[in-house]
Amino acid sequence: MSATPEPGLAVSVTGLAAGYGGPPVLREVDFGVRAGESVCVLGPNGGGKTTLFRALLGELAPTTGRVRVSGRPAYVAQTERTRLDFPVTALDVALMGSLAHGRWWLPPRRPERAAAAAALERVGLTDASREPFGTLSGGQRQRALLARALVQAAPVLLLDEPLSGVDPASAREIGRVFDELRDEGRALLVSSHDVESARAFDLVLCLNGRQIAFGPPARALDRATLEATYGSEMIVLEGGPGGVRAVTVQHHEHGHGHEGHGHH
Amino acid sequence: MPSPADLVDLPFLREALLELVLLGLAGGSLGAWIVLRRLAFFTHAAGSATFPGLVVADASGFSPLLASLAVALGYAGGVERAGRAGREPGEATALLLVAALAGGVILASDVFESGGAVDRLLFGTILGLDGVDLLASAAAAALAGIGTLALGRTWSALAFDPDGTRALGVPTGAADLILLALVAVAVVAAIPAVGVLLVTALFVLPAATARVLARGIGPLIAAALVLALVQGVAGLYLAYWLDLPPGPPVAVLGAIAYAAATTVRGAR
Repeated sequence: MSATPEPGLAVSVTGLAAGYGGPPVLREVDFGVRAGESVCVLGPNGGGKTTLFRALLGELAPTTGRVRVSGRPAYVAQTERTRLDFPVTALDVALMGSLAHGRWWLPPRRPERAAAAAALERVGLTDASREPFGTLSGGQRQRALLARALVQAAPVLLLDEPLSGVDPASAREIGRVFDELRDEGRALLVSSHDVESARAFDLVLCLNGRQIAFGPPARALDRATLEATYGSEMIVLEGGPGGVRAVTVQHHEHGHGHEGHGHH
Repeated sequence: MPSPADLVDLPFLREALLELVLLGLAGGSLGAWIVLRRLAFFTHAAGSATFPGLVVADASGFSPLLASLAVALGYAGGVERAGRAGREPGEATALLLVAALAGGVILASDVFESGGAVDRLLFGTILGLDGVDLLASAAAAALAGIGTLALGRTWSALAFDPDGTRALGVPTGAADLILLALVAVAVVAAIPAVGVLLVTALFVLPAATARVLARGIGPLIAAALVLALVQGVAGLYLAYWLDLPPGPPVAVLGAIAYAAATTVRGAR
């Protein structure tokens, strides 16, 4: 994270290249996101989605270029990265978001607890607020982490594959919260490997080691872009009401084996 | 079989009882974080790492408490720094422990030709605890309690999701260092009574047992406190009865409680 972006933009990335010591794993990235816009970040595993997020979070300094984000972004990691045996409730997880307001050396105050309860209500988890995090379903866990991001009240939210492996009810709930956040003027960047779900976003950013395309889904999701983004991991199907349809075939990086995404 | 009332009536036992209650309070509250942050090895190592400090104190007449405190805090700082530099925490803990122990052995055998500190360091004693020891344990218990109340949510968030917590803007290095330092202080305070070999009996076993049974952090801390206090007091009574240092009975009771808890959980 660095200085305030240009006026009107919540996120601006200019000529970004970033990596982990060796050659950059992501380069030639240029895009801007306005407050109230949602962006679906598409790309294969290893395409640079997580690297982009780490650069936006300020954890990874750009090799070249500039990254500007207004405020400290909220980050929702994949639930596989959290400890499921950990003795915290959904409410405890939501309350962790208040650590972003400073005061990490003091116990939570009443307004912070109220904000956590309100965030759980917003993601439809009030009934499960006292449940241990590890006993929640995958979708409920994702919603608890989303509630943590809501408590943080950040102008920019980065979500790492929030819809991956989520039950349909949770996916609907999460989609509804995304719409609300957009209406509130927050910028959302959501990584996904589901090409079809990208059509519901304002903008699509396709990455495959470099930026392949950035723009509204109708313009960005053409056959050439998808092939450049996914290469052999994708089968493109022509026709249908939405024009080009795509099915990506990927090996999920967290060991769930072979998955097919999208529909035809 | 001696009367349990002796624990309160006999002055030297009264002091030992107070010491173990204070250590139980420190161990119960810090133990929860030790278990959740996977610091059991660090806890054990922080005590053993004080060896060179005790050797120097023994040879020079300097306060053993202050010498071991200085070494333990330095050790905690070293482990935190190594962790921040991306070292695997267990490896950093082991590497720095070996360095401290080797330094202690060289000092004891070649520089000061002294081995007097070793017995006290390893086993502890219920006899000969003095006011300073009690004061150190009271300070450790107070710091552990304050730390838990103030920083508990941050330590919990860090253990649950370190990357997510860093992304919230929490200075994770500082939060880690405070926890490691509090554990080091508490371990140093416990050495005179239980010795370094069995310090984990007070700081790890009660919380590990509570962890098996408790589903939330509040109940985990409460159960760890109760177990640490019960284990400490009952262990002291057994030590008095069987004429042992208090460390071994406290450790055996802790291990029995842990085995019972895992059996109960397995049967559920």
